[in-house]
Amino acid sequence: MTRAPGSSFTSSLQATAVLLMLWCGQAAAQVGSSSIEVNPIADRVPLAREDHSHHEHAADHNMKFDDAGMVMNSNADVLPQDCESISEDVEFVVYAGTDYALSAAGRTFGYSEHEYHVPPCSRVTIHFYNEDQVRHQWMLHGLPRYLYPQGMFHLEASGGQHVMGTFIVPSDDATYLIHCDITQHMEKGMKAQLVVGAGSGDLWSVPGVSADFNHHEEKMPRGTLLLMAAMVMLAGAMLTTTKL
Amino acid sequence: MRSAVFLIIGLVLSAALFPPQWYSPRLRFEMAQIFGIPAYEERASMNATDPEMMAPTEEACPEDLLGWRDAQVIDGVSIAAAPTCVADNPYAIAAFVRGTNNVSTDTLLRAGLAPDAVVKGADLDGDGDPDEIHIRLEVAELNGGSPDMLEPTAQFALAPGITPGLWVFVPKSFGMATENFESNVAMDLLRLPSPSIRIEQGDVVKVTLENTHYMPHTIHFHGVDHSYLTADGQGNDGTMTSEMPLLPGEARTYELNPRSTGTAFYHCHVQSQAHILMGLQGMFIVEENRPNNMLQTLNVGAGQVRVTSQASREEYDQEYDLHYTDLDSGLSSIIQRSNDPAEIERWIHGGYNLIESNSDYYTLNGRSFPYTFRESLVVTGPDELIRLRVLNAGSAGLALHPHGHKVTATHLDGVLQSLEAQVTRDVFWLASAQRADFTLNTTNDGLHSYGSGVWMLHDHGGRGITNNGIAPGGNMNAIVYREYLDDNGWPISQGEDMSMFFNPAFYRRDDAMVMSGETQFTAGFMLRVIAFSLALGLALASLVRLLIPVVEERR
Repeated sequence: MTRAPGSSFTSSLQATAVLLMLWCGQAAAQVGSSSIEVNPIADRVPLAREDHSHHEHAADHNMKFDDAGMVMNSNADVLPQDCESISEDVEFVVYAGTDYALSAAGRTFGYSEHEYHVPPCSRVTIHFYNEDQVRHQWMLHGLPRYLYPQGMFHLEASGGQHVMGTFIVPSDDATYLIHCDITQHMEKGMKAQLVVGAGSGDLWSVPGVSADFNHHEEKMPRGTLLLMAAMVMLAGAMLTTTKL
Repeated sequence: MRSAVFLIIGLVLSAALFPPQWYSPRLRFEMAQIFGIPAYEERASMNATDPEMMAPTEEACPEDLLGWRDAQVIDGVSIAAAPTCVADNPYAIAAFVRGTNNVSTDTLLRAGLAPDAVVKGADLDGDGDPDEIHIRLEVAELNGGSPDMLEPTAQFALAPGITPGLWVFVPKSFGMATENFESNVAMDLLRLPSPSIRIEQGDVVKVTLENTHYMPHTIHFHGVDHSYLTADGQGNDGTMTSEMPLLPGEARTYELNPRSTGTAFYHCHVQSQAHILMGLQGMFIVEENRPNNMLQTLNVGAGQVRVTSQASREEYDQEYDLHYTDLDSGLSSIIQRSNDPAEIERWIHGGYNLIESNSDYYTLNGRSFPYTFRESLVVTGPDELIRLRVLNAGSAGLALHPHGHKVTATHLDGVLQSLEAQVTRDVFWLASAQRADFTLNTTNDGLHSYGSGVWMLHDHGGRGITNNGIAPGGNMNAIVYREYLDDNGWPISQGEDMSMFFNPAFYRRDDAMVMSGETQFTAGFMLRVIAFSLALGLALASLVRLLIPVVEERR
């Protein structure tokens, strides 16, 4: 919803309040410079569920996992290879739940914001508040795999909980997929996009941003062919009887 | 000359005016690459997806790369070997036995379970096992529709190429719903049937339903001792007379303190004529109270119980949960046709008519033959006593027939039958929602068993052994003696080569249902069609006029 420095547009009182809080928080954080936690990143192994060995330890992952939810692959200090320094610190406060579903067909769940713009090489911090009583996720795909196992940055909050995490985006203009991977949550509205720089084009079916891929179906309605035939004949008859 | 100009104008206009609704998905994709994606539009109409059948021919018995079949000890829990090709995740079993609050993070991560999926608390009666059990279930949609893909999402195939839409209760998990980001196959915890729940007599049980689905749901505990209201006066029966349905994003806790034992049933009671058939149904077993009774609280996908109860060990060598049900693709395809919950609800309420429909898929433990042979075989040696807990949650009766054996019904609907009333026979009729506990005695005495072999075990009603009318399919299963079982878990049979059934083409009907709705007759669409047709007529007529002199010249 809110991008702390620079962005002043907000659509609700709640968001304005959050913006102010963040603004102050941001100022404080800047005074204390690097106050964000530092996690070791090197030598990670893939998620235990996916490998075929019994001997690798999930504790090696850069992961926080408890009753509040989980934070995976948070990274506040290791730069992508193509970035020389962090261009900007950006923070977003994201609310999730049924209250944020847009009132269109197919939207049951939603985020308070479905599109996020950040500059290349920026350090992005997400404060993720889940206002439902069930789990929700804010899962980002497509980050460089040498920094983020599976190319993924993942926040998951249990019902009523709040988690936060940080990642650093590469320098390329690109659009990244954000979604909740609980079955049908993306399909029913929990889909968003992170646009780095100018981005690389919109994703399909981002609520409030882009159209669904499966538009109306391809089957011709009954009677359409008859109508077309009549029109073709009409045009043909008009043309052939006209002296050119 | 003028005709040529008209021809070109007509062709260009027809191309430009061709209604975008009729563009192929590929063309729309390519156009989006060039012109960008059209703007978001709010609309109440539905999307239709054409459920593509799944990938090609596959191995009958996939290799067990993760070692899940082996007997193993995880976090101090001894887990019996699984003889079948495909086995449950042993890490999940360990977490269900000790409680997700009492196992290592490593085990939880390998299991895919949330830390509060099954929380085990105090030992209230001081007999060495926890008696406070808190289970958290979510609702998952398998083979659901998508606004982005033509294939169903989070796929779970009943049999090769058969992916009807399903709703299931699932243990609370974390992370991705699919095997990985590249895969479109649901992870192992998300499957049909909803997990079997096992608790001990006298346990103080809480079952929290966290409704992660876009439809309202409840849980009704059928045949399990529970009060009508919870301690704080909330509805506890899951029905429309006890409570409001649980809306998307909400959670509710049911309280149970069962005084009697037996095999029971739990299911959603919202629009139960449809929601139960969609898959919101599972077995619920109350075991006898014994000291040090560490129960496997959930049995994902039912089937073999790899950590059995103390009471079961006293009498039986093995225990299996056999969950039979059926489903109607006319109902389950509704969720693949539309991405609009309101539209889906209208179809289920008024579009789908149970009275005029028939089930077309019959499952045992969530799969239809040939997949039943991968994971539901009852594997035995001679002289064993095996407990079969059977639930028929389907819409029709089940005429359960074991070949080569006569089994004895010890419990009906969870109630122990007196010795005189315990019937031994080879076809048992179970009406909808009935349960029976059978003793399978493999002593070769010409009555209980006729000896070793690969003996079929199936519904003797014809429909039950088909997949949408194509046999062999349905709930076909077998009792297999170990000498007839290959090391990989596949039965060594003498008859037909069963690999031919592992091909979606085998189960594809010629009269496959055409799934689609219709484009709406909006004014814009009609004007477009009229304009397109006029342009096409202009082009065709110009072509005719151009050709007339050519034809006449040739004469």
